[in-house]
Amino acid sequence: MRRAMLGLLGAFSLSFAEPLAEPAQLWDKMYYIWLAISVVIYLVVFIPGAYFLVKYRYKKGSNEEAQHVHENPMLEVLWTIIPVIIVIYLATQSFAFYKTQRTAPEGAFEIKVTGFMWGWSFEYPNGKQVYAFFNMFEDPETKSYLPFDKIPDMAKAYIPAGVPIKVLLTSQDVIHSFYVQPAKVTEDAVPGRITHMWFKINQPGEYWAFCREYCGTKHSKMAAVLKVVPKEEFEKWYGEAIDNKQVSLNK
Amino acid sequence: MAVVGVHKPWFGASVKEWIFTTDHKKIGVMYGVTSLIFFLIAGISALGIRLELFQPGLQYVDEDHYNQLLTLHGVLMQFWWAVGIWGSFGNFLLPLMIGARDVAFPRLNALSYWLFFAASVMALLTLLPGSQIRMMWTGYPPFSLNDNAGPVAFYALVIHLLGAASLASAINLVVTNLSMRAPGISLKKMNLFLHSFLAMNVIQILGVPALAGAVTMLLLDKYFHTAFFDPARGGDPVLYQNLFWFYSHPVVYVMILPAFGLISEMIATFSRREIFGRTSMIFAIWGIAILGFMVWIHHMFTSGVPDWIRILFSYTTVLIGVPTGIKIFNWIGTLYKGSIRFTTPMLYTLSAIFMFLIGGLTGIPLGLPAFDIGIHDSHFVVAHFHYVLGMALTLAVFGGFHYWFPKLTGKMYSEFWGKVGLVLIMIGSNIFYFLQFIVGLEGMPRRYADYPAIESWIVLHQWQTFGAFILAIGVGIGILNLILSAKFGKKAPDNPWESPSLEWLIPSPPPPHNFDKIPHMPADWDPYNYEWLKKHKGNY
Repeated sequence: MRRAMLGLLGAFSLSFAEPLAEPAQLWDKMYYIWLAISVVIYLVVFIPGAYFLVKYRYKKGSNEEAQHVHENPMLEVLWTIIPVIIVIYLATQSFAFYKTQRTAPEGAFEIKVTGFMWGWSFEYPNGKQVYAFFNMFEDPETKSYLPFDKIPDMAKAYIPAGVPIKVLLTSQDVIHSFYVQPAKVTEDAVPGRITHMWFKINQPGEYWAFCREYCGTKHSKMAAVLKVVPKEEFEKWYGEAIDNKQVSLNK
Repeated sequence: MAVVGVHKPWFGASVKEWIFTTDHKKIGVMYGVTSLIFFLIAGISALGIRLELFQPGLQYVDEDHYNQLLTLHGVLMQFWWAVGIWGSFGNFLLPLMIGARDVAFPRLNALSYWLFFAASVMALLTLLPGSQIRMMWTGYPPFSLNDNAGPVAFYALVIHLLGAASLASAINLVVTNLSMRAPGISLKKMNLFLHSFLAMNVIQILGVPALAGAVTMLLLDKYFHTAFFDPARGGDPVLYQNLFWFYSHPVVYVMILPAFGLISEMIATFSRREIFGRTSMIFAIWGIAILGFMVWIHHMFTSGVPDWIRILFSYTTVLIGVPTGIKIFNWIGTLYKGSIRFTTPMLYTLSAIFMFLIGGLTGIPLGLPAFDIGIHDSHFVVAHFHYVLGMALTLAVFGGFHYWFPKLTGKMYSEFWGKVGLVLIMIGSNIFYFLQFIVGLEGMPRRYADYPAIESWIVLHQWQTFGAFILAIGVGIGILNLILSAKFGKKAPDNPWESPSLEWLIPSPPPPHNFDKIPHMPADWDPYNYEWLKKHKGNY
């Protein structure tokens, strides 16, 4: 339990150093702005509410009848205008962040990601492909998720660290949704359409991407692992001849 | 009001009388019993879901059965509990509150219930092997056209039957409300529950056709090979989402507005004073109802609609927070200088308000694309609407069950067990749904039967499951208390809450014809004028 709570705080670390992934830092900011405003609003409602409940509770002899207060037009106007200002501010702040969250930086590295029942294919600009089938992520016997180190390397999509990636998304069959956990971005993969998103992961490591639109039996195993490696290591992997074994797996 | 010529209470009727009845009270009870049974089925399927998520891996059910449980839980809770239960409160209370002997079209009313009943039977048929539906309550194509989703026809016909029932009932109750109010009950003096119920029915009339159209297109696509949603033949799957959410977002106000109405009734009665800012409360109801039709794109913020539309709808979406806030502020204002009695229904009401506040505040970021992009279709969303529907709505409904229990049965429930049930419900659901927010913020996608062994996720899921079981025990105690009290409870006075609202001025349980003669309400009467009742005690 304690760990979970720490995880909650840790997941949104306040540090202003280079973020783990982008544009997650904007999501974090939006989260904190909303959280602060919400906590204040909750208290502004809860504290007077609790005070009234104690003060005006029914007491034999002293508070048997309510007093008459019908309405207060000033108050009504006040608690209409102030919320309007707050929500307009929130929507406008979100507008400003969203523009950056949706616009991939110039010269981003383009990867085509296609969802299918059930798995993802990653197509790099030079034609290199990675297939992430659901059964590469599950233990053949228990059917539970494998840890990162047991997942075969060929199922992992290599991503260069610190390089903005623009993802062009589509689907072969039904609607899927591509969620990059560290970057906190989601976009649907819709058949017949090409949608887009971008992210940049600064710290090498292995990260999850999940399908977030319900797509049937193996929806909960429709994951992908993004293996983020330093640029040089990525160049090496990227330059390797296209692995025939991988291609044959496709057929 | 004295009653003449009544020999047995309205519920002392034979089975035949129940089946062929056109009495709004009996129909209300039948809606209530059906809704409650489906609430329990949906609740049990939720416990199955929670057990499966207790730890990573698949222990109790395989993915297909998990998806079936989740579809069942979603559809039943939405359509039978959150919407269906208002068939019960509305039918029972509307004629009593406006001084009418029945609704405008009693036989149409019976037809509405039996259509609802037919839909219920059809929903249960999907439990049979081979006809399981596994496409979630949203039923998005192209997935729902895939064989993996199960027989779409069942779903489409269930929606059509429910839709026909809702439309007939909505028209009936709007007409009743507008044209059958007894002399002296103006729109301004009408109970706030009736205002919200009126708005709810107007939303139903405007919205249901969109959903009916969407599922009809689904049916045609699946069985008659049309191509509304097939991109390979020029269709567009996102079209379905537009039609679906054009109804299915406003439907959340169909669910929650009458709950607001119940909260207003109960908080006024137990604070012994008129609702604070009554006029602005009525405007807020209609503000929510109208704005509710202008926000549906926020369900589709990641579905590939153009970015400028997402921004536009983010403004309309967050604006809904304003009338909703007005309602909460006015409820708190109602407590001011009241004389507050902490009965079980009042405690349910207060819990509903403070839980709705959490549900409402966590709804705002879902309308902000900059935030939604990170938690769309995650457990955060699930937690948000469980605070609203699973808590605020359900608490208000249970409060209403207790509040009108003496009216319905003429007996008093046990205060002690009523409060025990509430405390368990509050502890269980707060553990459950609050941790669901956190696991959602950490990225857990919704509708997952299994998840990777991420340490904090495991802990969070285990506590959620504990919470769910505490909640289930609380609900069990609450319902059992009501059932046992109906049989063994002490006799209740006609007006235990000393409310001047019209339904409390007649005997409990109400006589079959409600009113001996149509009441003429005097000018100084008002459903929230508690002093008036004191002055006229004995005359009414």
